[in-house]
Amino acid sequence: MGALSLGRLAYLALVVAIFAFVIAPLLMIVWVSFFAEKILSFPPTGYTLSWYARASEMADFANGFLMSVKVGLCATLASLALGVPAALAIERFPFPGRETIRQTLLSPMYVPAIVAGAAVYIYFIELEILTNFQLAATFTGLVIAHTLVALPWTLRLVCASLVSANTISEEAARSLGANALQTFFYVTLPIIRPGMIAAAMFSFIASFSDLEKSLFLVGPGKTTLPIAILNYLEWSLDPTIAAVATVQIFIIGAALIVSDRFVKLGKVF
Amino acid sequence: MREGRNWGGSALVVPALFLVAAFLLAPLALILRYSFDKYDPVKLMLGIFSPGNYVQAVADPFYQNVLSTTAYIAALSTVIVMLLAFPVAYYISRVESQRLRGWLIILTMLPLLLGNAVRSAAWMIVMGTKGVANAVMLGVGLIEEPIKILYTPTAVVIALVSVLLPFAIITLQSVMDAIPTSLEEAGQSLGHSPLRTVFEVVLPLAMPGVVAAAAISFALAMNAYATPVLIGGPTMKMMGPAVYDQIAKANNWPFGSTLACILMVVTLVLTVLSTRFLSRKYF
Repeated sequence: MGALSLGRLAYLALVVAIFAFVIAPLLMIVWVSFFAEKILSFPPTGYTLSWYARASEMADFANGFLMSVKVGLCATLASLALGVPAALAIERFPFPGRETIRQTLLSPMYVPAIVAGAAVYIYFIELEILTNFQLAATFTGLVIAHTLVALPWTLRLVCASLVSANTISEEAARSLGANALQTFFYVTLPIIRPGMIAAAMFSFIASFSDLEKSLFLVGPGKTTLPIAILNYLEWSLDPTIAAVATVQIFIIGAALIVSDRFVKLGKVF
Repeated sequence: MREGRNWGGSALVVPALFLVAAFLLAPLALILRYSFDKYDPVKLMLGIFSPGNYVQAVADPFYQNVLSTTAYIAALSTVIVMLLAFPVAYYISRVESQRLRGWLIILTMLPLLLGNAVRSAAWMIVMGTKGVANAVMLGVGLIEEPIKILYTPTAVVIALVSVLLPFAIITLQSVMDAIPTSLEEAGQSLGHSPLRTVFEVVLPLAMPGVVAAAAISFALAMNAYATPVLIGGPTMKMMGPAVYDQIAKANNWPFGSTLACILMVVTLVLTVLSTRFLSRKYF
């Protein structure tokens, strides 16, 4: 038994070490955001909150943050508007070829982001030459690209909650004379609401943290937060960028914990 | 339900399908076509159809180097990721408390969802010349003066491993969840050590998950953009940054499209491979 628990202890230590490897850099960046001095040195000479104020005063970060929030909200709404009906069609109205359709709708998740970003950029420019309608480097263009990022998440999570909910109450409503719309709004919607909330959260997170798809599509004055971070990091590394990163860590962490309240992530994955 | 209603209901899929067709499939078809065109400094494109770019991508020593560096870094990262992901995934799938399991999943997912900009920033703070790693090693007297970690291939592999780990852990863990614990109990009741049980019972049964997780990891590593750019620095040449440079900086759409299509095809093959082995839940 002694040898066994020793082995068990070593195993636990290994698992903790691997988690630490992934999480520690994130804790470090949060720590650095409070360092008093601009030039990094460990341990720090003192602590300050002033980098957060400085970051919020920098136009790139302030505008990038607002842009990411706006694009994220629009992409989330669009992906729900398109994804919930699509999930309903796939799970409730079996039609031939629906597995192919499902895979097609999930494909934005499998196409490499850098490839999709490049392709959409070239496509937008060609569309503009043909129709004189500009999409590259516009808000609309970013929202379209981000809706594609978000759609697979919405589809997966809403499909999952439709599959786990049985259809008996829906059938009961229909046999009692409710029409398709009434059944959806009074019966199906309340059942899948947690799935939809999780879908909205994940859609927002996927959009908010996206870097590769936006890379080609941002323009002067229309930069998202991750792109602003990328541009800054190519030149300097200081507590200001750590403060910006910390804000993003807390926003996404909060969104993740909120979604866990509605859909137990331990059961979904 | 009547047949007509079924068709009415299935029409709900059309708007989403339109979005994917118009803004993903059509653009991909467009770059596939452009990948066979030829760049011209004046006209940008000649409108011809030739495999010239593909020949250049594999024959030009510079791009040979880009391809082999990408393949090497992706393969090395994948091997390390699999070695690290297996014990963690097994732990998560066998942990008894549902609460702890939920928190471990959140802890696994958080870095994945933060995006590559923030994760790269974090690794730069750890691996920089004035970073945490150097400060600690100097502090304990392991090294005399700061060593260069950032902007080396090693740094890229370390950062990529942390990027890929969540994907590999989630994929493996979902496969291990489906393996009944009774099989391990049987192994142990035959007197095998826990370690031997894992190797002889769990590993063979989890093999589809291992293949799938490795394929996904390799595909993601190969397509990485932010990690090679920020952690590898300007001398680190991988496929993702090369696609961006050709299309956005050099305006060479045909050759950039060729590089993108090569990435796309390899990714597609790996994805099909992984789905053949596994009915995926989320990744």
